[in-house]
Amino acid sequence: MSLFFKSLFSLLTSVKLAVVIILALAIVSAVGTIYEARYDAEYAQKLVYQSPYMYAVMILLCVTLIAVMVDRWPWKRRHIAFILAHIGIIVTLIGSVFTQRLGVDGTMAFKIGGARKSVTVKERDLAIYGSFGTGEIRPLLQDPVDFITRRPTEERPHVIEFGNEKIEVVEYLHLAFRDEKIISSEREGDGPALRFQLKNANVDVTEWVRREGGKSSANVDLGPASIVLSDGSYKPIEGVNEIVFSPIPNSDEIRYMVYDKSNLLKKRGQIKESEGFDVGWMGLQMKILRYHPHSFQKVTYEKAESSSPLAHSAIRFRFRDQEHWMGIGSLVRLYTEDRMYVLAYVFRQLDLGFELKLKDFKIGYNQGTKKAASYESLVETPEGEEVLISMNEPLKYAGYTFYQASFEQDEMGKATLSVLSVNYDPGRWIKYLGSLLIVLGSILLFYFRKALARSPKKTPGGSK
Amino acid sequence: MISRSTYFLSALLIFFAGVSTPSSADWLTELQSLPVQDAGRVKPFDTFAREAMQLVYGKRKFNQSEAAEVVLTWIVTPDLWASAPIIEIRHSGLKEAMSVEKEKRYFSMSELLGNVKLPLVFGELQNRRERQEKLNPYFQAVQRLENQLGILQVLAQEGAPGMVPPKEGDKWLAPRDFSDPMKEKFSSLVQAFVAYATNKNSADAEKSLESSIIDFRQAATEEGRALSKSQVTRVNLEVHYNIFHPFLWSWISYLIGVILMGAFMIRGYHWQSVGGWIFLALGFALHTYGMGMRMYLAERPPVSNMYETVVWVPWGAILFGYVLERLQKNKLVLVSSAAIAVVCLILTDLAPAVLDPSIHPLEPVLRSTFWLTTHVLIITISYAAFFLAFALGDLLLFYYLVDEDKYAVQIRNGVQSIYRCLQIGVVLLAAGIILGGVWADYSWGRFWGWDPKETWALIALLGYIAILHARIVGWIKPFGMALSSVLSFSLVIMAWYGVNFVLGAGLHSYGFGAGGVEYVTGFVVLHILYATYVTTVRYGRRKRS
Repeated sequence: MSLFFKSLFSLLTSVKLAVVIILALAIVSAVGTIYEARYDAEYAQKLVYQSPYMYAVMILLCVTLIAVMVDRWPWKRRHIAFILAHIGIIVTLIGSVFTQRLGVDGTMAFKIGGARKSVTVKERDLAIYGSFGTGEIRPLLQDPVDFITRRPTEERPHVIEFGNEKIEVVEYLHLAFRDEKIISSEREGDGPALRFQLKNANVDVTEWVRREGGKSSANVDLGPASIVLSDGSYKPIEGVNEIVFSPIPNSDEIRYMVYDKSNLLKKRGQIKESEGFDVGWMGLQMKILRYHPHSFQKVTYEKAESSSPLAHSAIRFRFRDQEHWMGIGSLVRLYTEDRMYVLAYVFRQLDLGFELKLKDFKIGYNQGTKKAASYESLVETPEGEEVLISMNEPLKYAGYTFYQASFEQDEMGKATLSVLSVNYDPGRWIKYLGSLLIVLGSILLFYFRKALARSPKKTPGGSK
Repeated sequence: MISRSTYFLSALLIFFAGVSTPSSADWLTELQSLPVQDAGRVKPFDTFAREAMQLVYGKRKFNQSEAAEVVLTWIVTPDLWASAPIIEIRHSGLKEAMSVEKEKRYFSMSELLGNVKLPLVFGELQNRRERQEKLNPYFQAVQRLENQLGILQVLAQEGAPGMVPPKEGDKWLAPRDFSDPMKEKFSSLVQAFVAYATNKNSADAEKSLESSIIDFRQAATEEGRALSKSQVTRVNLEVHYNIFHPFLWSWISYLIGVILMGAFMIRGYHWQSVGGWIFLALGFALHTYGMGMRMYLAERPPVSNMYETVVWVPWGAILFGYVLERLQKNKLVLVSSAAIAVVCLILTDLAPAVLDPSIHPLEPVLRSTFWLTTHVLIITISYAAFFLAFALGDLLLFYYLVDEDKYAVQIRNGVQSIYRCLQIGVVLLAAGIILGGVWADYSWGRFWGWDPKETWALIALLGYIAILHARIVGWIKPFGMALSSVLSFSLVIMAWYGVNFVLGAGLHSYGFGAGGVEYVTGFVVLHILYATYVTTVRYGRRKRS
């Protein structure tokens, strides 16, 4: 062995190096928790825990652990504890590599009574679809993106090219709040939008109602009445008080019709922006505050200063000199002279290969309160077997484990969505084995400590 | 019902005549042990009243009057209280936002409701909530104010809390929703209370108040679903737990024990040692008794919030202290552990706003008890071992500062004990972290997720492992052991307190709280300064010799 290898080996087997590595590991982890507090777990994972630095420290740790064990060869009885603990650490780390590379960690959100056959995972995709005259929409491109580690900027945008077109992603906000405005447009294909105020002594509501181009109607449900923006073809619904607006093409006037619950036409007329009329019941006054014959919804995002469940990631991109914002989990339609493209920025969906149905969802409350004490999902497997998944009582099926994670509810407190977290972990038993060795080793250290201290063999590069 | 003016008169008499009810009065005990339903569990009226007082007034007594008595008058005579300064506001930023005097600490209901800035302040809070953003200390103060006004208003309007169990469903009825016969019973309770309050020296009035409470309780039991035997036992025991307050007596005993033991170590009289042992044992018995009661009342192990761990950790420290004292014949360990217990238990009494002593129902995810309990118990007990090492280190640094040659024996034994503590701590913490992984895997589906709570526990573990390894290579010698056991305890403080109260992030959010950051930081900084000072002084001395 050359001198170089000898000194390298003695460096790797030195306990001093081990102390430095342990401290480095502690410091990097501490930095990670600050990232997590400031942003979220994903951000900390990508930038710290799964960063090249962390891997470097971990690999160095494993190399040192192995070198130290090799150095003690041939092992004596008193080495058992230290060998077990060190092998345990290596095995646990190998297990986590398996989990990370081959495992699945995602979520499934079910509507009550709904079915799902795919898992939503953390990885994200930019996908492009195109329409080609015939109304058919075809996927053109799917681009896995990771904007946390490779953050796009104006100087270094993330470019996607398809056909003769290109999209440049120029900004990424990890946590941002959505803000939307309705703006007048010149494009004939864009639908109309109306901002109205409905008011009497007790009620004062101001809202937008906007109809997408190509749709025949859109409505805003205000409880006692529904406000409809139609293209003139709307048929009133029984059992609902309705105020129906239909824009008159190539004019700034709008036709309105008021229907009662039994579909009787109570009132009709024409109206312009900033004009109003008596609705005819409950003393309600309707006023048109703004009217755009053609409009589009302008979405912008503002960086969130602290993490909030409502904040999510968003990107800003350029397409044909136009800038757009879009949030994760949304679609944007992009028009050229003859085509329409759809850009989707979404969490990747992983096909499970089977379907689960949510038959029922129940919430148990702490006595006398509206605070959830427990919640459970009744799920049907492909074989038609019904299984109850509750907190800490998961379903194991086809290698996957389904845990009750959370739920969403509407303003009335009624559950709307049940969220399961889905997990497939090929590294689980390796990690468990490693953990067992670590614990066993550290307990045995108590017995062998003295023997180790009296060990005649000195650590090379260690104590003098 | 009786007229408002009578209420007014009586309330005046209660609070301005200066005659306070002796806390052992029979009627008061009856009132305190009336079962009520509040915040998701059945509890005695006494607990409800203490919690309401703590929230509104920031203390559990008002002018020597017991919480139960005061809160009953809130229910009976809300009008009088409207102008009484009983609502505590501490946050100076909030006082500024409301344009009220900064020096004032207590405000009245009418004063606050008339404040023109209040709707604005509440509006801001509402905005925050809609965006689901984390509440900073300012908004936490606003939220507290909202709760303070809320509880006073609800009490005035409904005569809450629920006092009669329903026949069906699980929401207890508040006085507003009582059936007519129950309303009558309640009204005669109120009349008897007023009659007593107007003439506190009358034994008859007292007797009739007592019997009207017993009567009401009896009627409530007959009216609705009866409480089970164990529920009744729990309610009565909880009153005893509140009034006896075992942790107070426990730390007093520990303190006497520490003083006697300290005296024995200096003077060496046999009686001092015996006395010390007796008081330490008594303190430990009371400590155990209190924790046992709390476990029985809450029906769970005592590690579900910060308060409970601050009670539990010193219990573990005493246990380790006792074992090491037996093994190593080192009284220093026992005294240090008792000192830890005194400090921790006093803390739980001093800072109820930070360490909330109330018993709340558990969050859904915490209801799988086995793995959860096991990992938290083991991790917190490892903190006890590190805490003990820290206290010993503190003491040894003092010996080093005074004269390290004179105290060579104490230092040698102390370092040996520190080393043992760190070993015990490392093994327990490693096992606890791994069991935490097992729990996370069992209930969330992942073994390790870099959640801040688990990450900081790991950082603390790495810190101590680094110390043990550095000792092997001779980087750390006896002085270094004392020094590093003091310094590295900061990591434990971060994992134990800091993640919940400073970082406030991650999946362990059910344990999050606020407050005390400046004191805890002060504690850590003070110890770093102390350690630096001793190191510098010692270094200078060695250089000279």
